[in-house]
Amino acid sequence: MRPRTPLALAVAALLVLLGPPLLTSGSGEATGTQIPGLQFMVPNSPGGGYDITARTAAKNIEDEDLNNNVEVYNLDGAGGTVGLTALINDRGNEKLAMSMGLGVVGAQRTNDTDSRLSQTTPIARLTEEPDIVVVPKNSKYKTFNQLLKDWKARPGKMPVGGGSSPGGPDHLAPMLMAREAGITPKDVNYVPFDGGGELLASILGGKVAFGVSGVGEYLDQIKSGDLRVLAVTSPKPHPGLDAPTLKETGLDVEFTNWRGIVAPPGLSDADRDRLIKLFDRLHDSAAWRESLKKNGWTDAYMTGAKFGDFLDAQDKRVVSVLKELDL
Amino acid sequence: MTTLTKAPEDALPPEGRRSWLKEHSELGLCALLAVLGILVLTDALTMDDHFAQRGPVGPQAVPTVVGIALLLVAALLTADVLRGGKGEAETGEDVDLDTPAEWRTVLMLAGVFLGNAVLIGIVGFPISGALLFWGAAYVLGSRNLTRDPLIAAALSLATYVVFNNLLGVPLPGGPLMGVL
Amino acid sequence: MDSLTSLMDGFGTALTPINILWAAVGVLLGTAIGVLPGIGPAMAVALLLPVTYGLDPTAAFIMFAGIYYGGMFGGSTTSILLNTPGESAAVVAAMEGNPMAKSGRGSQALAAAAVGHFIGGIIGTCLLVALAPVVADLAVDIGAPDYFAIMVLAFIAVTSVLGKSRIRGFASLLIGLTLGLVGMDQMTGQQRLTFGSLHLSDGIDVIIVAVGLFAIGEALWVAAHLKSGGDGAIPVGRPWLDKKDLKRTWKPWLRGPVIGFPFGAIPAGGAEIPTFLSYVTEKRLSKHKDEWGKGAIEGVAGPESTASASAAGTLVSMLTLGLPTTAVAAVMLAAFQQYGIQPGPLLFEREPDLVWGLIASLFVGMVLLLVLNLPLAPVWAKLLRIPRPYLYAGIMFFAAVGAYAVSGEALDLFILLIIGLIGLAMRRYGLPVLPAVIGVILGPAAENQMRRALQISDGSLTGLVNSPFAVTVYAIVALILAWPWVRKLLPARRTEERAEERV
Repeated sequence: MRPRTPLALAVAALLVLLGPPLLTSGSGEATGTQIPGLQFMVPNSPGGGYDITARTAAKNIEDEDLNNNVEVYNLDGAGGTVGLTALINDRGNEKLAMSMGLGVVGAQRTNDTDSRLSQTTPIARLTEEPDIVVVPKNSKYKTFNQLLKDWKARPGKMPVGGGSSPGGPDHLAPMLMAREAGITPKDVNYVPFDGGGELLASILGGKVAFGVSGVGEYLDQIKSGDLRVLAVTSPKPHPGLDAPTLKETGLDVEFTNWRGIVAPPGLSDADRDRLIKLFDRLHDSAAWRESLKKNGWTDAYMTGAKFGDFLDAQDKRVVSVLKELDL
Repeated sequence: MTTLTKAPEDALPPEGRRSWLKEHSELGLCALLAVLGILVLTDALTMDDHFAQRGPVGPQAVPTVVGIALLLVAALLTADVLRGGKGEAETGEDVDLDTPAEWRTVLMLAGVFLGNAVLIGIVGFPISGALLFWGAAYVLGSRNLTRDPLIAAALSLATYVVFNNLLGVPLPGGPLMGVL
Repeated sequence: MDSLTSLMDGFGTALTPINILWAAVGVLLGTAIGVLPGIGPAMAVALLLPVTYGLDPTAAFIMFAGIYYGGMFGGSTTSILLNTPGESAAVVAAMEGNPMAKSGRGSQALAAAAVGHFIGGIIGTCLLVALAPVVADLAVDIGAPDYFAIMVLAFIAVTSVLGKSRIRGFASLLIGLTLGLVGMDQMTGQQRLTFGSLHLSDGIDVIIVAVGLFAIGEALWVAAHLKSGGDGAIPVGRPWLDKKDLKRTWKPWLRGPVIGFPFGAIPAGGAEIPTFLSYVTEKRLSKHKDEWGKGAIEGVAGPESTASASAAGTLVSMLTLGLPTTAVAAVMLAAFQQYGIQPGPLLFEREPDLVWGLIASLFVGMVLLLVLNLPLAPVWAKLLRIPRPYLYAGIMFFAAVGAYAVSGEALDLFILLIIGLIGLAMRRYGLPVLPAVIGVILGPAAENQMRRALQISDGSLTGLVNSPFAVTVYAIVALILAWPWVRKLLPARRTEERAEERV
């Protein structure tokens, strides 16, 4: 062994040991809303709904100097439950928050996991979005009730297209409608599609009898007249959409998809309040209002314990639907 | 077709049964395919019937077909091997099929990779990555104890910085993260 | 004519010095990041999204276009040189590209890929300009039964890559199909072969399978049989394509877009299946059949041109319908929304400057890609000059980084190793690896489309054949299958050769 060898080994060891901490900022004390090294975890893939929410929020937070730097990363898998499990395992990490929504509520039930949203620290609900019932422009259905009549008569022959797997928002909405209309949810012919692209093509091409989707995704196709909206699922009519609510058509169903933020379990009250305060300030900012408008999101701000109760209620609703389907 | 299965036992005493097995080691692959087939079939048959299924094809159908096909191919391949058929080992620029296979090297290389998979969560990426590179280079015959660790450490650290700091893809930093 | 004037205006936008600069920056960044393990074009665009926040929308999208094409090319570079495809569209390029690189023809392989990307991209973008509305209308009519019919055709095509021993080829295909079964069944949410692991419920990514079988399997196999005195470096060879190469590549380059563009435009098309079909077609048509598997340049040129043209096809559905057909398109769609732009049927009317500027910048980006990367090909190829132990250690290292970076799960590394060991066994016993990769790609897609078709028809088997397109494809399949018998009935030898071409 040459004398240089031990030296080389020492240098190599120092490099890999000391390099990362010295090159990475992220330590330091939190002051005000500033949380150095704050990270947003996105439990689905780049370009998905939670991803856009998290990246928009992070950008606005940085723009408004609420926090110097927010790192967004994706941990995709099993409808969000992989991310959820990672979040729950990162107990007490006050520099982490996860974007999530109704889809994760369903996924935690349909996937074989013990991770529950009730274990997390609820921070805030940010936005909500109703689902819409759409048909292509050449469909024979002009009103929701015409559609409902046929749907009731032969549910098997009326394939319903949706962008989420069983248990997800686009699946829950038609199931709730069916239940209220007296159709056995098990008879509903729900056809899941991978994301919005293939679904849109199938609706436009008349492959499915009707589609159920978030209102934001197909605004342009609706405006151009390629798609016709028969109903929205929200309690109030959606601004800019010439379509009745389900209630107005006589079907007593209200359904809105929503997105929010949760943090790992085991946070101190001070840490939790700091995160809530950060989102309070974000919610009050002009940049966020601008983002809401750009993305066509409806503000549905709600924080802390109230949001926690809301999560519980949503979970119960999802469970009740899935039970009827034996899922 | 190729000589590689024969080569290793040149040193061994001629022992009928053993060399027959050596000669027909491809039967191990047949067994593997059969096991895989049984696994797939068991998984398919133990699945519950499901609500959302419509029509003749449910979640079990395709696995059942694949499982049966695996068993069939395993049987056909066994017959082929017993009749003296042999798969041609792949050639390549860096591959010398005339020398006996060094399975020890393969085991060590796989071990180094396994070590990285186990260590990455414990000691962080820069250390486990450097050990992976150095270990793999060592196993493959590089013995420069001065240059190798330095290259390994520099490569690993550079990769860490590019992914973690420049691109924002988080990698575990190691035991001293947050201490310094 | 209308689109031509608009396109000219678009060039006016794209050819300002500052926008050329953004396109160049995009191409370089995209290539650089696409080369990194585990980061495909979708991740590259997502990661670089923040970089563009400060730019105006037109400049941002010009940069994106550069990143997209650059990322695709970067993915092929590692695929060819290191046998580690960075994205699924580049998997096929490794089949012939890597043997070429190993035998000292790395720069030719890269050049064939670069020119292929250029030609495929240019033709694809021209088709985009000329045909966008027509293609978009047709794309919507393609449904589940049609997809399934195409998959059946692709399965028939697999038989031509089974290798010398059919039974071993089938074994390989079945290994791939088995790996493809792992995960949650998309139609019913049923878990299959996940053994209770949440992480497995999304299935095994085709990249993990390809990198495991190709890179790890190869490294282990080389370890078993490393040539003694193997520390001599791989020769880099001549830097350019010579006449002989060009004679063999120009047709594959031109055929690529024919296959790639329509696949890119349809909603469930993507680039994996067309690149594979291009590979098979070129293999059938090649006059150098003995070289296949050892580095036939047609096998790089065709699939790469196809991949690039399919990217252009993707933009058709995205710009005209707001339909994201690939992950990259989904990310770009999200980026559009960040700027308050809703892509969809009205985009061409509402934002003509942006759209035509973007399309023009695709041309500009493609030229830049070629200009920047062709001279770089020999430089990249020199990478193989490093001593064998470092080279294979580096491949193991990068394969590990790529697998880990995507999800941060050590489990992926174990899966990678297991698949690598399968790859080793396959090499040892002469099982070809390509059918396994194809099985992983085709298996789940075919199953989903078939079951979706049956579900839409409420279980009636007619749901599989109720579209003229599907019927046509099945007729072609029947013809291919029946051909050996039909041929026997025909006396002349001439027909035989023509038959080869038709298939």
